[in-house]
Amino acid sequence: MKLNIQIIIGFFIFCSLSCGSMREVSIYEPSKSISAFDQFPYKTLFTNSSENGLWGVKNNNCKEVYFDTKNSFIGKDHLHIKWDASKCNYIGMGLKWSNYKPKNLIPIIESTAIELRVRIDSGSISNTPMFFILLDYGGNQCRANINYLDLEGGKIDTQWRRIRIPLQAFNYEKRGVNMSNIKELRLEFQRKGDLHIDNILIVPHDHNYHKAKATFKKVFKSNPIQLGVGKEYWWGINTKYSSSLQFGTSFKNESIVVDLPQSKESSWNIFGFSPYQWLRIDISNIYSTSALKFKIKATQIPKLQANFFAYTGKKRRLFKILNQSHFIDKGDGIYEAYLPLKAIKGHGEFRWDELKEIRFKILGGGQFELGDFQLIEFRGNPKKPTQWKGI
Amino acid sequence: MERNINIFICLVFVMAYSFNTYSQVNKVQVIKNALGNFELQRNGKPYYIKGAGAKAHFDLLAQSGANSIRVWSTNNNALLDSAYNHNLSVSLGLYVRPERSGMDYNDEYAVKGQIEYLKNEVLRYKDHPALLVWGIGNEVDLRYSNFKVWETIEIIAKFIKEVDPYHPTMTVIAGVDPSKAFYIKKNCPSIDILGLNVYGSIENAGANLRKFNWEKPYIVSEWGVNGPFEARKTSWNAKIEPPNGVKADQRKRRYLEIIEKDKELCLGSYCFLWGQKQESTATWHGMFLSNGNPTEAVDVMQYCWTGEWPKSRAPSIKNISLENIGWRKDHVLSPSKQATLRIDYFKYNNEQVTLEYILYPEAFSNKIGGDIQLSPDPINFEIIQKIGSELTFITPSKKGAYRIFAYVKNNKRQSSVANIPFLVE
Repeated sequence: MKLNIQIIIGFFIFCSLSCGSMREVSIYEPSKSISAFDQFPYKTLFTNSSENGLWGVKNNNCKEVYFDTKNSFIGKDHLHIKWDASKCNYIGMGLKWSNYKPKNLIPIIESTAIELRVRIDSGSISNTPMFFILLDYGGNQCRANINYLDLEGGKIDTQWRRIRIPLQAFNYEKRGVNMSNIKELRLEFQRKGDLHIDNILIVPHDHNYHKAKATFKKVFKSNPIQLGVGKEYWWGINTKYSSSLQFGTSFKNESIVVDLPQSKESSWNIFGFSPYQWLRIDISNIYSTSALKFKIKATQIPKLQANFFAYTGKKRRLFKILNQSHFIDKGDGIYEAYLPLKAIKGHGEFRWDELKEIRFKILGGGQFELGDFQLIEFRGNPKKPTQWKGI
Repeated sequence: MERNINIFICLVFVMAYSFNTYSQVNKVQVIKNALGNFELQRNGKPYYIKGAGAKAHFDLLAQSGANSIRVWSTNNNALLDSAYNHNLSVSLGLYVRPERSGMDYNDEYAVKGQIEYLKNEVLRYKDHPALLVWGIGNEVDLRYSNFKVWETIEIIAKFIKEVDPYHPTMTVIAGVDPSKAFYIKKNCPSIDILGLNVYGSIENAGANLRKFNWEKPYIVSEWGVNGPFEARKTSWNAKIEPPNGVKADQRKRRYLEIIEKDKELCLGSYCFLWGQKQESTATWHGMFLSNGNPTEAVDVMQYCWTGEWPKSRAPSIKNISLENIGWRKDHVLSPSKQATLRIDYFKYNNEQVTLEYILYPEAFSNKIGGDIQLSPDPINFEIIQKIGSELTFITPSKKGAYRIFAYVKNNKRQSSVANIPFLVE
């Protein structure tokens, strides 16, 4: 019993003492966490030549690099580089950045920038042909250049001016650079220049800019597609200079009335249109089972050359002269034309995901109207386009 | 009283100075004249552009009858001053980064930075007395895929309209096609003039603009001989360059029969290039050699601009052949063998001309447009004999692609040049 009492007293005293030594904490005090920037250990890239490693500082015909001890921004010296790229393919140097330790920039990518100080010996310039390159351990590189928005005072002059290159400004996504495994920072120089550089650091930075996702591409995955809707997407029709080609009204959507003498080739015998608003048209999924279809109002079938143009690619133009086998006589002077895309020579080399324009050249003249251009499904024999029962 | 007079004198000086500064700005505008043709006017007077893409040789340019130069960027203030001192106006380029240089027009930061930078350049140069026209961007359309670039062009053009009412805006494209005409018309209403860089495509440029429903005036902002990108290639991919004499004839015809004839829409032109640059070869577009010697292209331009040939004319190489095979064909030679190069040239009024030959390794390049290319260094080679316009030499011992150049010059250093690529295998 006596022991129990002693234990209780002892426990009471312990509790009292413990409570007495407790720190008072406000329930409204925010918890202190360490920011990604604070945690990043490799904040210094260059402050002076003895503490920070560099490569590419040997002089040659195109560059002169030295560590200038006069008027440094920080430390005992700074970089001074003069370059002239007229005789060299590449002028650059690298910062070993904590002796090539692999650096994970992902946690700080949205909140930091590379900062440096620059100046020139005389005068004032608003830009210098200098690029910043991040290199990962896989050898992939991404780059950024000096942006006027982050150039202090909008100029480089004899004062030490601050430049910031936000990490977001590097095109690492496009170049497939592993930002969690960065080896070094390179400085690349183009054209001609003379620059003092000092105090290259990683610093906190708000980068409030976004990247748009405009592609200017229209993807079509199924037929039919009405082509060239809207007169503003057509060319070759300008009645101020020629009445040979004019917009007509006989068909649904846009059509062209052609009035060309049979006797001689006119210089105004071509018209064209964008399949869809001059965007880059992607029909790559359906082109092999597609045909161009259009209607003609004529007393006899005219001689036409159809051309397809791509925005890019090795083969930018395909063409086909249409013949009798492409037409079906629907009666009353109306013909339907069918041109399977697979029937066009070179179709396999053409960028059907970058289709730009469909163009017609009228060979030999005539009076007729053509219009209602569509892309339709076609699964027949490309050599016998009008014989497919699916039409 | 004396104090009042002093104040008055000072005031007069200040006013005179102010007036002088203001009056230096030349007011340029595009109008439609009584004939219904577009016309550029400078200080109220018609101003047809007889120009050249030039950064040097302004004395000779002015002497040859030109009145304007085109520069591609604002990075050299001295060029404007120098042009002004030679009574030459300037079509001043605002360098809008093309997509092919790595510019991403979806990147708001890069786009805004560029716009702010160029706005600052506009403010810096807008009152320069040599300024004629703003050239916003050069060939931004070359191999581009992001049509947002036209938004940047418009923002800058619109800004110019706000701050500089005296100088028209132009954007310069690499040849015209219907999609470019559409995008510029739609997105760039503040552009007054279309600049066309056209080489082979100059032949139909005016007609095509009309077909593409372009309704504003244009300037032929770069023109000359067909470019390397349009040239025929040898089987080893070396581009075949016509001799200077052939190129000179082409220049003359294009100016007199195409550029000058389009009175309705064309405000003038800038020939390319009043200077020298490496573009596949060191002599393709340049009207001067790398040593500064003028070629016969300079004489041609004087004829085009003034209707008169210079008193002293450069000789003119009309043909060049290697081993009796003409310059249009492939030339494949064995290593360390004797070969004969022959040129045919006109001496014109020169009593004496000098012939020189230089051998280079072939300078293959995948650069396009005006992108910078490096010049190769010449190679020593053994000459067996030079008789008249024939050179016998020993081909290099090392297999590879080469190009041999022949130069003819008179005692005033006026020159003509031709070359032949050959393969040693």
